[in-house]
Amino acid sequence: MIEDFENILLQVAGAMPWMKWLSAAFLLVMGIILGSLAARSVSRMMQARASRHHTVMFRRLVFYVVVGLFAMAALREAGFSLDVLLGAAGILTVAIGFASQTSASNMISGLFLLVERPFEIGDFIEVDATIGEVIAIDMLSVKLRTADNLYVRIPNETLIKTRVINRSRFPIRRLDLTVGIAYAEDVEKVEKLLLDLAERSPACLEEPRPFVLVTSFGPSSVDLQFSFWVPKERILEGRSNMMVDIKKTLDRENIEIPFPHTSIYAGSHSAPFRVELLRPQSTAHKELPDANEDG
Amino acid sequence: MVDSKEGTALPRDGVWGRAYTLESGQTQFHELSHTRLWVTRLDVEWQIRAETSRPDVDPMRWAEQLTHVLPGSDVPLQRFVKPDDGNDVVFLPALAGLPTVIRPYQPLTIPAGGECIIYVGTVVWLRVCVGERRTQLTELALAEPSQTWVGRNTMEGEVCYSAPSYARLVLEAVPKRPWRAITPVTIRNRRTEPLLLERFSLPTPLLSLHTNEKGQLWTPGVTVVCETDMNSASLHVDQTLFSAAGNCSLITPPRETGSRGRLVRAFDRMFG
Repeated sequence: MIEDFENILLQVAGAMPWMKWLSAAFLLVMGIILGSLAARSVSRMMQARASRHHTVMFRRLVFYVVVGLFAMAALREAGFSLDVLLGAAGILTVAIGFASQTSASNMISGLFLLVERPFEIGDFIEVDATIGEVIAIDMLSVKLRTADNLYVRIPNETLIKTRVINRSRFPIRRLDLTVGIAYAEDVEKVEKLLLDLAERSPACLEEPRPFVLVTSFGPSSVDLQFSFWVPKERILEGRSNMMVDIKKTLDRENIEIPFPHTSIYAGSHSAPFRVELLRPQSTAHKELPDANEDG
Repeated sequence: MVDSKEGTALPRDGVWGRAYTLESGQTQFHELSHTRLWVTRLDVEWQIRAETSRPDVDPMRWAEQLTHVLPGSDVPLQRFVKPDDGNDVVFLPALAGLPTVIRPYQPLTIPAGGECIIYVGTVVWLRVCVGERRTQLTELALAEPSQTWVGRNTMEGEVCYSAPSYARLVLEAVPKRPWRAITPVTIRNRRTEPLLLERFSLPTPLLSLHTNEKGQLWTPGVTVVCETDMNSASLHVDQTLFSAAGNCSLITPPRETGSRGRLVRAFDRMFG
């Protein structure tokens, strides 16, 4: 009985095209090695000439194409017919599609992201209150590094569906600062002071011109909008330095920056507030027990 | 602080490209444009201290003297390991690394078919080079440059330096400061209507710097021809120096050698 079984096994093993399988496996391994070599050399060649985004994209493309070609050759070598495989793939896709809907959707979104290019590697983007630098655009997700050095993974599908703000697409940006001044102050004088500040600030661009608008009569201040343009790499420095300068200048010129005042009014129908005046003597009496607590 | 009398000479005029030899522990103090600069040589290191202020009046002279007095710690200090055994320090000028937008204080009108030469002075950057191989240690702006945007809209264009200018038409009226490079800009208006010159972009990275026997800095002339409309102006950097510059020798080559792309872009936005 066991001998029969052994015989059958030997027959099956003898009938298997071992050499073919071996050469197919060899082709596959070769494909992976050659693919990564080709990808690496392409990336090295492109590094100096193209943006990081394009380099990464081409590296991945070269790797997949080379590995794909070798995989096809390996399958053929192993005796599979590609036509049959492609037909089977159709049925398989439906099955897999249902099973891995999210992954497939992310992969397709990733393709759209690569074609549409709303951002590139190295850009600062804002997605759903997350602001960070794009460090990788992968098949399923985009990876961000936030300013406080957190690693954030955002699925490609989310990026296609939600609003994405690219903060570094254009070389210059406008900063809008709100400055509140007291009602008693001369708005035109403040406007002139602010424009002088913009002219003196090294981060602030001469053109497009800075401007000042009166935006509202607020509860305790006249609100001005002070807008000026800065190169994108000097945005933080520009904002902070300008705010310090505004505070210094307004203080020097004795222009009041009011903080919200609250007046309590009891209303005509309600009873007036009871106000009790304390005489100095009574205050002194109050303090006595504390001072002589022990005798 | 060391006694300031010892080894302190009267201020002399600074010269571009001259090799100054410093003893160990000696400090050379420079005051030019808006900058005060202290260069100190120690046994194995060079120290550079520099500060930029904003004086109300632009000084005329570049004063240089040996001193033993150093500024307080509020002036930032840069330290460099000596690149070789040489004890020389050389100061070289360099033009701005970005195009410079020249904006006349009062716009100038050039009549139809007219031509004029405007003398434009731009502030140079200072390179501190040391040792036998003239290794560059640092480069500093002699006056804090202001920047501007040149482009059709806020999406396309480039950030440039901006320099207000009196746009003088007479060479004698141009103040000759050692840290200002003079560029004669010839503007030809070939149009049938007058050209109002409010600002124009000077491709400073493409210009070389030359010094004449008076120590003045000159760049080759630039010719701008305005053919039909403002956007189609063509720019040409002359091969030879302006004759009024006198005998000149090249001191700094251009930062960029004329790449065509850059020139075309400069043409495109010649007048902003």
